[in-house]
Amino acid sequence: MLRAAAIAERAGVPSVSIVTTPFLQQAAVVCKGVGLPSLPIAEYPGVPMTDGSDAVARKIEALLPQIVAGLAGARETSRTKAAEPAPRSIVYRGTLDEIQEHFHENLWSDGLPVIPPTLERVERFLAHTRRAPDGVLGRLLPENRAATVWSIAVNGVMAGCRPEYMPVLVAIVDAIADPIFRVEDAGSTPGWEPLVIVSGPIARRLDLNHGQGVMRVGRQANTSVGRFLRLYLRNVAGLRIPPGAGDKGSIAGSFNVALAEDEDAAAALGWPTFGSDQGFARDDSVVTVQSVVSISPPIYSAGTRALEHARILAEVFGSACGYWSSIGMKYARWEPLLVLGPSIARVIAEDGWSKDDLRRYLHEHVRITARQAETYALQVGATSFTLDAHVKAGVLPAAYASSADPERPVPVFVQPEKLGILIAGDPGRNQSKGYVNNHIQGGRVSRRVET
Amino acid sequence: MTTSEPVYDVVWPLAPSAAPSATLATRSADLNGKIVGELWDYLFKGEEIFPLIRKKLAARYPGIRFVPFEVFGSTHGRDEKELATTLPSQLRQHGCDAVISAVGA
Repeated sequence: MLRAAAIAERAGVPSVSIVTTPFLQQAAVVCKGVGLPSLPIAEYPGVPMTDGSDAVARKIEALLPQIVAGLAGARETSRTKAAEPAPRSIVYRGTLDEIQEHFHENLWSDGLPVIPPTLERVERFLAHTRRAPDGVLGRLLPENRAATVWSIAVNGVMAGCRPEYMPVLVAIVDAIADPIFRVEDAGSTPGWEPLVIVSGPIARRLDLNHGQGVMRVGRQANTSVGRFLRLYLRNVAGLRIPPGAGDKGSIAGSFNVALAEDEDAAAALGWPTFGSDQGFARDDSVVTVQSVVSISPPIYSAGTRALEHARILAEVFGSACGYWSSIGMKYARWEPLLVLGPSIARVIAEDGWSKDDLRRYLHEHVRITARQAETYALQVGATSFTLDAHVKAGVLPAAYASSADPERPVPVFVQPEKLGILIAGDPGRNQSKGYVNNHIQGGRVSRRVET
Repeated sequence: MTTSEPVYDVVWPLAPSAAPSATLATRSADLNGKIVGELWDYLFKGEEIFPLIRKKLAARYPGIRFVPFEVFGSTHGRDEKELATTLPSQLRQHGCDAVISAVGA
């Protein structure tokens, strides 16, 4: 919204943006990032989604002078960039405790102790990539900083990674700098968190866990790689919760540890690995990043036939996705991820089902009513969303407007091919788990790891 | 008793700013006779807010005109490069002198 205003300003058209009070600090970060810190804003006090029509009218009347002042009359039009430290500059000297305090005070830490990023430690990370330290993988909004190889090494040190993880860290940042990932929306109110999935030989080489307890902190590679990404989003994209700004996750969640697949199990079943599903060869080392906004309950399923498991998966994973599917429908690009326990994958595969068969089953059997979809979208703030309008606009397939009956069932998963399926977890238990992503925000992006 | 706790020299964990140097557009003295474009992210009651703004501004500036939000489509979730290409030409095409962008929440 502010970026649209900035585009208008750069095209020579004055703008004013209506921003609600609780979002002013985040707006300041965005305005600075687009190079227009004095971009005019009219402040709407409070939360429109809990205001009645009378309150909305009263507040619009009150902010009219700000709208006029933003669009007409003289404005300050230039700014001076503040000087910033060069990469190799020593910005602080102190003991371990003093460094923790300094980093906390400057909002450079995630609240956990950090490993001091000394020149020597950073150099050890840089030795594991052929890329130049000043190489830039992209620019990360909202703070709009250059994603340099140097900054990846610094934050990798701080997160407790080993130097040999550096190629994975570079691939992660390369992925989140892709416009498909939409890092600029990583501070949105749903509070989604990136999930890193590591595929191929590097997962074994770095000792990533893919078995029991795979998504729990405890294994160094999984944990520190996951932590790195959250730290990098804070320090380079500028996504900080209060007392910082830029991250407006309302309740949000903490970082996900990196996930790896039980690729031997996939091979034994003759199923493609998750990395193969993303278009890579089995011997490619690959990093995939996507958003996770919520997680299903543990899905226990029993039986010797694929259908018995598919029914439970559809019910529990489908129910976990149902409320958020309206947002998936709004943008018609949604990439939930199903982590299948190895024993469950085995039953499904041995009954002759492929991963696509399971995707098709879930697409056909997980439904909510049209009324639910539109009601859920409204609650989030999509106040004008209707399935009919989205079908007419060509965003959704015709099946979503097959009748005028508000109780008609519509598919929760818009595009079954975008449903990710991966084998991991405890081989000694019959449990799966579903990860719901945040529509186009945090879209799935894969990168080959440069080793 | 003295301690021999190690001391560390540390580097900055942020990265260089890539924010462009930009300037605000020149403003007119008032809005009378101007064309105002409505940019909406299709969220948070814009369909209720924009008509209210239209009515209030028209009462204050009788010659003002508006290009409704439907003309531009949603600004939310658009690819930034695509928006940067299409929006300026849309604004020119409709002769917009100013825009109101909403709703940030």
